[in-house]
Amino acid sequence: MIQTSSIIKLDNVVLTLNSGAGPVEILKGISLDIKKGETVGIVGPSGSGKSSLMSLMTGLEQPTSGDITVAGLDMGACDEDRLALHRRDHIGIVMQAFHLIPTMTALENVAVPLELAGNSAAFDRAARELELVGLDHRLDHYPAQLSGGEQQRVALARAIAPEPDLLFGDEPTGNLDKNTGHAIIDLIFDLQKSRGSTLILVTHDPALADRCNRVISMDDGRITDDTGDTASITTDGTIKALFEE
Amino acid sequence: MNQLSHNMRLPVSLRFALRELRTGLKGFRVFMACLILGVTAIAAVGSLTQAIKEGLLSEGQAILGGDIEVSMFRSDISDEQRIWLSGQGILSQSTRMRTMARSQVGESTLVELRSIDRLYPLYGEFLTSPPLSNDALFAKRDGVWGTVIETALASRLNVGVGDTLDVGTIKISIRALINKEPDKANLGFQLGPSVMVYNAAMIEAGLKATGSLIDHYYKLKLPADVDIKTWREAADKRYPDERWSIQDSSGAAPGMRRFINRMSMFLTLVGLTALVVGGVGVSNAVKGYMDRKTKTIATLKILGASGNSIFMIYFIQVIMLGLIAIAIGLIAGAMLPDILILFLPDSLPISPEQGIYPQALFMAAFYGLLITIAFTTWPLGKARDLPAVRLFRALVAPDKQKPRTIYQVVVYGAALMVVALAIVLADNIALASGFIAGALISLMLLRGTSSIIEKIARKMPRPKNALRRLALANIHRPGSATSAVVISLGLGLTLFAGLALIEGNMARELNDQVPERAPAFFFLDIQKYQIDDFKKETLSIEGVDGFESVPSLRGQVTHINGTLVDELEVSSDFRWVIRGDRSLSYNDQEPKKSPVVKGDWWPVGYDGPPEISIGDEAATGLGINVGDTMTITILGREITFRVRSTREINWGGMGLNFVIMLDPNVMKAAPHSYMVTIRASGEAEGRAYNQLTKAFPAVTAIRVKEVLDKVNTMLVQIGTAIRATSLVAIVAGVFVLAGAIAAGFQQRVYDAVILKVVGAVRSQILRAYLLEYFVLGFITAVIALFLGSLAGYMVIVQVMDMKFTILPVPMIITVFVSLGITITFGLMSSIKSLAVRPNQVLRGE
Repeated sequence: MIQTSSIIKLDNVVLTLNSGAGPVEILKGISLDIKKGETVGIVGPSGSGKSSLMSLMTGLEQPTSGDITVAGLDMGACDEDRLALHRRDHIGIVMQAFHLIPTMTALENVAVPLELAGNSAAFDRAARELELVGLDHRLDHYPAQLSGGEQQRVALARAIAPEPDLLFGDEPTGNLDKNTGHAIIDLIFDLQKSRGSTLILVTHDPALADRCNRVISMDDGRITDDTGDTASITTDGTIKALFEE
Repeated sequence: MNQLSHNMRLPVSLRFALRELRTGLKGFRVFMACLILGVTAIAAVGSLTQAIKEGLLSEGQAILGGDIEVSMFRSDISDEQRIWLSGQGILSQSTRMRTMARSQVGESTLVELRSIDRLYPLYGEFLTSPPLSNDALFAKRDGVWGTVIETALASRLNVGVGDTLDVGTIKISIRALINKEPDKANLGFQLGPSVMVYNAAMIEAGLKATGSLIDHYYKLKLPADVDIKTWREAADKRYPDERWSIQDSSGAAPGMRRFINRMSMFLTLVGLTALVVGGVGVSNAVKGYMDRKTKTIATLKILGASGNSIFMIYFIQVIMLGLIAIAIGLIAGAMLPDILILFLPDSLPISPEQGIYPQALFMAAFYGLLITIAFTTWPLGKARDLPAVRLFRALVAPDKQKPRTIYQVVVYGAALMVVALAIVLADNIALASGFIAGALISLMLLRGTSSIIEKIARKMPRPKNALRRLALANIHRPGSATSAVVISLGLGLTLFAGLALIEGNMARELNDQVPERAPAFFFLDIQKYQIDDFKKETLSIEGVDGFESVPSLRGQVTHINGTLVDELEVSSDFRWVIRGDRSLSYNDQEPKKSPVVKGDWWPVGYDGPPEISIGDEAATGLGINVGDTMTITILGREITFRVRSTREINWGGMGLNFVIMLDPNVMKAAPHSYMVTIRASGEAEGRAYNQLTKAFPAVTAIRVKEVLDKVNTMLVQIGTAIRATSLVAIVAGVFVLAGAIAAGFQQRVYDAVILKVVGAVRSQILRAYLLEYFVLGFITAVIALFLGSLAGYMVIVQVMDMKFTILPVPMIITVFVSLGITITFGLMSSIKSLAVRPNQVLRGE
């Protein structure tokens, strides 16, 4: 259920990165307000700045200018450690390449954020999350022993185990086949619904964007369209047209 | 390990570290090998030193020959003192002097003649072949005293049990050969083999004439309830001004102790150098490991791990593995001395006390830990600040070059502690500081040179030949083996080359230069009435020239400027001037080879107050100048001399030099003997020796060649020990090189695959790699030779005041070793990389 209070607020945020050829403006004055409980799809062609926007919102990057507040924290005023702690307590991220720790089992991977938070029941919780994603029979398997879909389930379990306020997905089905990808997405949305987290997905997949109640379109570092919190988006409307460009 | 890593009572960093370690030691083998090697070397040196010292301590009474030893050099104690000592416990008297022993067929040689009494030895076992009692060995039988001799003397004079020797004016019958003299280690350096007789035989031989160089020893066995320290205090109080020397069993064999301490210091420093070389390998291994962990670190940061947690997770792993390596090194280091003692039982003059020496092991462990911290904290500190966004994109902006200040402080602090410990614990602080400074400068120069090589390679015009281009690129590309080869292998080779050049130059000095400058013989104890005849006899021998004689007598410095010498703080390099008896001389004329530096020489016919001339360096070392006074006891009389002049003395000239010369007036009338040097070579040398020792049997002849041989033997043994330890540094360098080459293996595979795809055959690719390693090996050898030669020059010229020559053999060996190691390891890895099938790489398998 969407609430009226903001959980992410960006105000004229600019992100400039250095390259060998000189500075490159990745994001050019982004302003955004995401409410608690929203499911947001961020779409756009390659190089539009969607992953960079997600990096800002998760505290992996800091803006060159502008203000960004996530779950009550002014991200621009924090150092790396403070941002890490904030992610631990409020943010879950599911990444395209899964990024499981190869030297830890599935159970241990899921337990990591809980252990970092000092949760004494970390392993019990982790086991429950893995059961929830259908991997209770793979607790002691290492990532190398799991299929791509299984690895992404572990990554998802790890992301939601701390019960974050915010759940981010950066092309979560990018490395998966179609069927597996659908299954993962169903899982993501089910978990979002049951936990009431705010969900932000960066995606190329129109079907995935379609399932979100808000779609933000980006191009060349700017927001070109923002459907807001509306149920009137149709698949053969604006969104599909975006992907056909 | 699983249960431990899930134990929520443990800190989270420790849990994560244990999980990482579950996967094995891949990437840490070089790390551990380097640490094990360095710690083993230091632990072994320390343990062996302690074992020898403990042996000295436990055998202290036997080595000293008593609980207390009272010694007088060149004079004897008074009857009153003898009576007093006799009342203190069981007293055994002995003497020692150098003299000539002659066989019945006329062969003679210099010997250490020891006279003893029935009570010898008070402690320890005196073993002979055949085993006989003291009376059976030494007592007079049928008018002939008995003797026992060392096997070396028996071989030299071709005599055995039953034969007779002439010593002084008597004949002595060889009744046995010496198997073990329990107090031999306390005798120090001996110019000749031992011959032992009873005290009465020494007197009868007429060798105790006034002016003879006889040392007197009184060994005391105290009652069990007497405290040695208290006894010494009582003796000092009773005889406060006595010039005798008192030693107790805890300080037996002081000369050997000094030698052991000095050797131990050098070997420890060399071992530390090996540990530092290994430290580079440790650092490379950790850096490589952290590079491979980039994704994991970024993932952990995304999941909420702080920088401190990241640092701790990997620091714990490094320390745990470091401690395991140190433990293995300690075990190996503790066992090595026992193995050495087993295989080389006769290499040491005393029996080392086998055992575990915690202090030595603790120091080795501490050094190992400090090196681990010093060389791993930097890459760990840098990893701590790895940004989490690294997971999503490679940063275009370069990583920070330096970690946070706190980590830099830890690195430099640990390094400083290593240096400080090495200096503070050293036997000679100046020498240790010089060694460490040399090693640090070499390390910095090597590091700088490695960067310069990479820069030059980068800027060089690109060769037209693709394979040569590859070889050049491999020298400067990120992750190349250049710094590992130049720094680690370079430092080990620098040490090796430096030590080889120092040893080679010293040997050259001893074997070539010294014999050229040195006389063939020193003749001592030529009495006043004999000197003219001696000169006449010498000059009558064909082929002999360079006859030089000086008057000689003995004295002991007691005061400088009115202060007792025992109370003076003097430079350790010149303490020998005021320690024990000194040879003194006088001359009407200023010695040509020893010109005056300050003051002036006496005018002819001087008859003023007593004055001396002293060596200029010794004067500086003792803190005295022209006008100061020095009190010397000569023939029982204390005479206070004014310093009239200081002289330059060239000890390396091997002539008759005296640090103190008296004015001609003081001693002309006093009883004294003469010292003579003679130059002769080839057959004339043998003729001179035979003729003069026959004509003057009581005169002591020292053959310089024999002394040089002895010194040479010692030098070779010392050099072997030091070079063996320096090989450890080279082995450490080899480990580092192997690690660096292994780290670049994937890149080699990729290069090889691409080259094969475009048509290169394996031999072509191998030639490119061979060129690369040849260039690296050759440059490293050149740098090592330069730095080693510089170090050798500083030591030989500045410290030892000798002439330095670049010697070809050590240089050739250094070049070959460098090339051999670099090419061998490089090609081994390259051949392996060529064996990988192209499809494996191209399909990303």
